[in-house]
Amino acid sequence: MNTLSQTHKIVQALLFAAREPLTSEQVNICVQEQVDLAAIVADLNSYFEAENQPVWIQPLAEGYRLMTRSEYEPWISRLFQNKGKLKLSRSALETLAIIAYKQPVTRVEIDTIRGVTTVLRPLIEKGLITINGRQDGPGRPLLYGTTARFLEYFGLTSLRDLPRVKELEEIVADEKPDPGQANHAIE
Amino acid sequence: MSYNIKLSNFEGPLDLLLFFIKRDEINIYDIPIAHITREYLEYLNLMQSLNLHIAGEFILMASMLMRIKVQMLLPRTETENLNEIEDPRTELVQMLVEYQKYRDLSHEFGRLEEEQRQFYPVNGQVLTQNFDPDLFLADVNLFDLALAFQKVLEAHPERKTMGIETIKINLSEQIQYLRHLFEKRGRIKFIEVVRQLRDRIEVVVTFLALLELIRTAEVRVSQKTVFGDIWLTKTKHGYEYPIPNA
Repeated sequence: MNTLSQTHKIVQALLFAAREPLTSEQVNICVQEQVDLAAIVADLNSYFEAENQPVWIQPLAEGYRLMTRSEYEPWISRLFQNKGKLKLSRSALETLAIIAYKQPVTRVEIDTIRGVTTVLRPLIEKGLITINGRQDGPGRPLLYGTTARFLEYFGLTSLRDLPRVKELEEIVADEKPDPGQANHAIE
Repeated sequence: MSYNIKLSNFEGPLDLLLFFIKRDEINIYDIPIAHITREYLEYLNLMQSLNLHIAGEFILMASMLMRIKVQMLLPRTETENLNEIEDPRTELVQMLVEYQKYRDLSHEFGRLEEEQRQFYPVNGQVLTQNFDPDLFLADVNLFDLALAFQKVLEAHPERKTMGIETIKINLSEQIQYLRHLFEKRGRIKFIEVVRQLRDRIEVVVTFLALLELIRTAEVRVSQKTVFGDIWLTKTKHGYEYPIPNA
């Protein structure tokens, strides 16, 4: 596997140029034929590996993105100084966890679970969550859900990859009625 | 002087209760309500003695705990079928279990975040680059600093003598003093900085100076364990904000 086909090189170029995860639909449109993107990505990854390249292709948010390898993290983090070291706060992580599993969800439902008032604005501004319409019912509250950027930030391919809710789920499922209002999602 | 800061050591009353439950190895489905109420109220009292602002949610939970405690104490008539009586704790248990589930999951997300941070997209921006610092976690919060501050104040009892004294120190001087300390050593324990001070007013001004240095990101604070030593580290890239005059 040392010679790459023209299509492989095109996909590689697209990956270099793309500013967000590249999907097979995008590749099909660019190459103007049906391409087995997963297979090409696998080939390219073994090529990068064999050539000892500092990059790899990560499946992210229903697409693929060219990323640096973890062993180069120390140098790159110096390039970005300490800015790259920032982490989400505990309350941000809690809020995202609730939204990820219960979406579409209202703020009242989030607050009920956390037992405190939640501020959602910063998470919306950072593109990690978005408004997905309104709930039918009194006050027609806004419904929130996660974004593609959320998946990318946590290195997930899709919402099916969310961490598993552990054995607690079974215990709770036995007796627990849905907290808060029932979900009457618009979509 | 009074300072109001949020009860941010715990995310909320449920987080605080789960802390007690874990620490005292309590079965979440059989909570000794008198014990946990006592612990909870003691914590709120501690907050109050520190002049910390107690958020409404914490008060609400206190009243819920006390209501449950009362209901547990009420005698039940013999005619009532024991099976039909709902345990007054049920609602609380459900809230705790539900919250705990998402709190555990949020740790999972923290782990994922950590893992993903090793990789940088070859093009485009790093996701965290333009993020609002308020959204992100410093290693230590104001609550920890306030607790440490309280410890120091206790070691410096108010002087009972009367008399008017001119205050010999000001904020900019103390900032210079702290910078001088950090030039010699990059990393100092908070307690070491304040131990050498003789006067309450000096402690207060030094604390303000320290907050200023944290604000301008010249100094970073971190702590290994809860109530442990607080370390101050000089950062390499402090922003050069002008220091306001004292």
